[in-house]
Amino acid sequence: MPDPLKGAATNRRQFLALTGLGALAAASGGALVGCSSNKPSGPGTTSANDLSKILPQYIPNTAVKPDVAGVAGPGGAVSDAVFLKYPSSPVKTVASVPGKGGSYTTMTPLWGAIPPSSGNSYYDAVNKAIGASLKLQPADGNTYGDKLPPLFAADKLPDWIQIPGWNTNNLNFGQGVSKFADLTPYLAGDKVKEYLNLANIPTAAWAPCVWNSKLYGLPVYPGGGGINGAYFFRRDIFEKLGIKADSIKTADDLAALGAQLTSTAANQWAFDDLFGNDAAYICQMFKFPSKWGLDGSGKLIHKYEHEGLIEALNWHAKVVKAGHVHPDAVAGNNQNAKQRFWSGHVTVAADGTGAWNGDDAKSGTAANPNYRRAAFKLLSASGAPTIELRPGAGMFGYLNGNLKPEQIKECLAIANYLAAPYGSAEWLTVNFGTEGDTYTMQDGNPVLTEKGGKEVATTFQFLVTPPTPTTVQAGFVDVAKDYGAWQADMVKYAMKPPFFAMNITEPSQYSSIGQAVNDTITDVKFGRKPISAFQEAVKTWKSQGGDALRAFYEDIRQKYGTGQ
Amino acid sequence: MTTEVLKRAAWEEKPTPAGHGAKTLTIAVVLAVILVPIYMVVITSFSTQASVNEAGGLVLVPSGLTTAAYEQIFSNQLIMHSLLVSFGITAIGTAISMVVSVLCAYGLSRSGSFGHRTILMLLIFTMFFSGGLIPSFLVVAALGGYGSYWSLILPGAVSVFNVLILRSFFSSTAQDLIDAAKVDGAGDWRTLWSVVLPTSKAVLAVMTLFYAVGYWNTFFNALLYLPDNGMWPLQMIVYTYTLQGNSMPGTGVTNTGQYFGHQELSPLSIQMAVVTLTLIPILLIYPFVQRHFTKGVLLGAIKG
Amino acid sequence: MSAITTEKVVVQPAVEQRRRLRWHDKLRRDRSLLIMATPAVLLLIVFSYLPMFGLVTAFQQYDIYYGFNNSPFVGGYQFARLFTDRLFWQALENTLVISAVQLVLYFPIPIALALMLNSIMSAKIRSFVQAVVYLPHFFSWVLVITIFQEVLGGAGPINHFLRENGMATWDIMTDPATFKYLVTAQAVWKEAGWGIIVFLAALAAIDQNLYEAAAADGAGRWRRLWHITLPGMRSVIVLLLVLRLGNALTVGFEQMLIQRQAVGRDASEVLDTFAYFYGVVNNNFSYGTAAGVFKGVLSLILIYAANKVAHVFGEDGLYRR
Repeated sequence: MPDPLKGAATNRRQFLALTGLGALAAASGGALVGCSSNKPSGPGTTSANDLSKILPQYIPNTAVKPDVAGVAGPGGAVSDAVFLKYPSSPVKTVASVPGKGGSYTTMTPLWGAIPPSSGNSYYDAVNKAIGASLKLQPADGNTYGDKLPPLFAADKLPDWIQIPGWNTNNLNFGQGVSKFADLTPYLAGDKVKEYLNLANIPTAAWAPCVWNSKLYGLPVYPGGGGINGAYFFRRDIFEKLGIKADSIKTADDLAALGAQLTSTAANQWAFDDLFGNDAAYICQMFKFPSKWGLDGSGKLIHKYEHEGLIEALNWHAKVVKAGHVHPDAVAGNNQNAKQRFWSGHVTVAADGTGAWNGDDAKSGTAANPNYRRAAFKLLSASGAPTIELRPGAGMFGYLNGNLKPEQIKECLAIANYLAAPYGSAEWLTVNFGTEGDTYTMQDGNPVLTEKGGKEVATTFQFLVTPPTPTTVQAGFVDVAKDYGAWQADMVKYAMKPPFFAMNITEPSQYSSIGQAVNDTITDVKFGRKPISAFQEAVKTWKSQGGDALRAFYEDIRQKYGTGQ
Repeated sequence: MTTEVLKRAAWEEKPTPAGHGAKTLTIAVVLAVILVPIYMVVITSFSTQASVNEAGGLVLVPSGLTTAAYEQIFSNQLIMHSLLVSFGITAIGTAISMVVSVLCAYGLSRSGSFGHRTILMLLIFTMFFSGGLIPSFLVVAALGGYGSYWSLILPGAVSVFNVLILRSFFSSTAQDLIDAAKVDGAGDWRTLWSVVLPTSKAVLAVMTLFYAVGYWNTFFNALLYLPDNGMWPLQMIVYTYTLQGNSMPGTGVTNTGQYFGHQELSPLSIQMAVVTLTLIPILLIYPFVQRHFTKGVLLGAIKG
Repeated sequence: MSAITTEKVVVQPAVEQRRRLRWHDKLRRDRSLLIMATPAVLLLIVFSYLPMFGLVTAFQQYDIYYGFNNSPFVGGYQFARLFTDRLFWQALENTLVISAVQLVLYFPIPIALALMLNSIMSAKIRSFVQAVVYLPHFFSWVLVITIFQEVLGGAGPINHFLRENGMATWDIMTDPATFKYLVTAQAVWKEAGWGIIVFLAALAAIDQNLYEAAAADGAGRWRRLWHITLPGMRSVIVLLLVLRLGNALTVGFEQMLIQRQAVGRDASEVLDTFAYFYGVVNNNFSYGTAAGVFKGVLSLILIYAANKVAHVFGEDGLYRR
């Protein structure tokens, strides 16, 4: 349909260009003329050249040896190391107390019950160990994103705040990041040697901390490159039915299981949601990019334009129509997805890899002692499987720009303590508190006491974290081994997508054009609308800004590279 | 104050069997439709993980019961303090809101009074237009509300909806009573206090309930304006329990592990325990309000 | 209802003089009333009117970082974009349709329930039912929809029964065509009990002597209902009706959000979710604010119209001329 706003849009674009605002204008030369301040206006991206000068040097810690070492794959991917027991004599990685008695306010998200803020012996123990006073203020994780814009707008940011990557979208972070302290002078290159535990964090995790050629963020829960998730199945149910998981290699193999695993009389369905939010899980199986990719001729192609997505939609609609997907999953009831899996009401489910741990096993075995979670080796619609790497960290801690240099140094020293690697003495204090008080060692692994269960939560860890290995929880050693083995296999197929770990703020006028396509995808994947509706939606998307976005990214590619 | 009329009044006929039957049936259906889900919620809160796993969700017939969910919630030291905070906010907030609303409602209840239409428009306008989250935050923060308890009370102290209802009830107070007061030389304040209020007990009770429930459930303002956990009202603390078992978006990392002392517990049970606990104060308050709804209330001093 | 003045009654001054003196006298006469209204007005000015400067973002391309002062001004661009957005009109249509359905199917229910409860003889049963029936109001929408899904969903007992007996399943939870009725049913379940409270208060305010007198005159129960009870509740009913019409564009947010995936956007998008998805979530605050401004203006028009209609029926409605 003809765009009646073309005239207005052009005028606006000219207007914006005059004032130097708006990334479209800025994309042609990164116009540094702000409206009333000297802040740069641009997408917040950094070129590969600059990046190499800014990133901290990677100095892996060799003092702690895992039971199973991480396996390296292409694209710099590394699977998690596996620890079956906590090292019996944990090494000290921080020589002296890092803090100088300073006190700082913090803010972190928390998905779970809030521990008491006063009279908390765990908080006290950690604060004593770091020699400073961090005032922890965990906030509800689900609504964290609602809180942030007002805080930015009113300049009420605490001294040390953690912001998940998925919340930076509506904060115009390319600009907003200037409210935080620039850490480049303290950590770039070999300056990081002063903070050896921070140097232990892989480079892939530091890359997304860089904005506008400056290092701002501290990585939280970094890894050698994470992935979106995996396709899990109930190994015990498969074994009972005599299904060999290794023989399931393609999407069609998976769909064929549907009939065998569905028995509505017994309240069992084969599949839970296999698509994922924004095609997060299914993009791996059908080999289309999770956002932008490169097509055969090296041109940028968005996932909406990719063949793979159409195949995925058709496949999924078929499975849903056959009645093999649990009705609650079709109704969008995702918060009970794990419960359905534990109950055996679904046999195959897609989920994040964080679901595969000892606590999950504990919940699952509560009703069925044979419960055993496993994941398919990477599936593919056709040909060899691939899996897209996600940036090495998804959440980042930032220090307030108002802090003085001594304060920043103190906080970095504290961060160095908090980032002590798994297997060190400090890690136990930060993650579990005091032995005998908030945790005890059982079978060589730390377990929270009842008191610990109330006082310890993911608080300090959300400010900065060392790379997390796979460990044993709740005594389920096999789970750790299974997961480790699966990762070692998966990492062979890893690949870096274009713009990997690059921070790019898209122009805000295009930020909502994807919503309509997403909604249509939801309708098509459940068979409510035909595939032609999706194709229509993509056409609209292109004209509303999809093509303009491609031009924007093409420009980024020219200027800053693709981070691969 | 009022006596319960337990017997049918002299002038009321006995109900017809059909009417009685229909009424009974309707009430039974209404009760069933509401009580069965409530039962499911309560039972799930007392169910073990095994029971929940078997049911695959909310439990109807449990295979095992446990009070672990409640134990875990009550053992949180923050709960006690947050209860105090909630009580304080509710009591003070309701008092402020009721005084302000009653005065305003009465002040606008006399049609023809000076400027009452303008002020009414002013009130109604705010029901449909709002500056948005960020401007509201900026205003409250500029006034020093960030990190302060009054940010939970003052911004929402006036509910225009409640004022309008109060006004409607006040306007329909028997005119003769007001005239009688005027003849006795009472000014507006006196009239409000000695004539209108005593005859509006039912609506005052209802509005108090509405405001009290509103303050008790205050959530979003606490979320925005109170970063310090130690200051949180009950709903905030209790809401975070409902997130257990939920994964952080994009990471798949579930937060059940570190926090659970009792691994026998399903996140669903805790969520349902939270809901059940929310219902208890309501059930306790209701008798007080309900007292004003009984039949046979003889109003005022109008005789014959 | 006209106010009875307590001024000097005897001499009627000339019309002109009366008009000139009038507003001074009125002000003096009503100053207590104005003082009474002041605290509420002050609070609203500070916390509702002051933040309204934020409405200016509807005319800007607002950006958090640049703030209200520095975000570029774009005039009516957001509104032009809004009115040419097919999805906006779809959201508006959904909103009005759901609102209409709720008006017809939901609005009368609390009234009927209140009347029925009021006629229960046993105080014990009456209190019990009243206390139970308003509990669902305190459930979150997530819980309410979970409950509906558990009972009516594809994996629930009803569909289980249908499947076992060879009948087609009733996919009410995922059917876009019946979504408006589902949404109304959910609203009734959750809110009807709470809604009866105001009506109970109104019923309690009716003078019981009127019933006695009517019965003495030979009026049966239905005539008493029609001539005493309903008229006694009329002003409250009309007030709430006018308010409901004014709020016709607000039909729910969380409720629609949660079920968006189940029935699809076409059935579940309402103005509030539209503003959310195309405004807040996607960093396009201005667009969302523009939708909000449109909603506010339309609501004002609706409430004005509803009030006029109320006047036609002889009721005060929200306010008299």
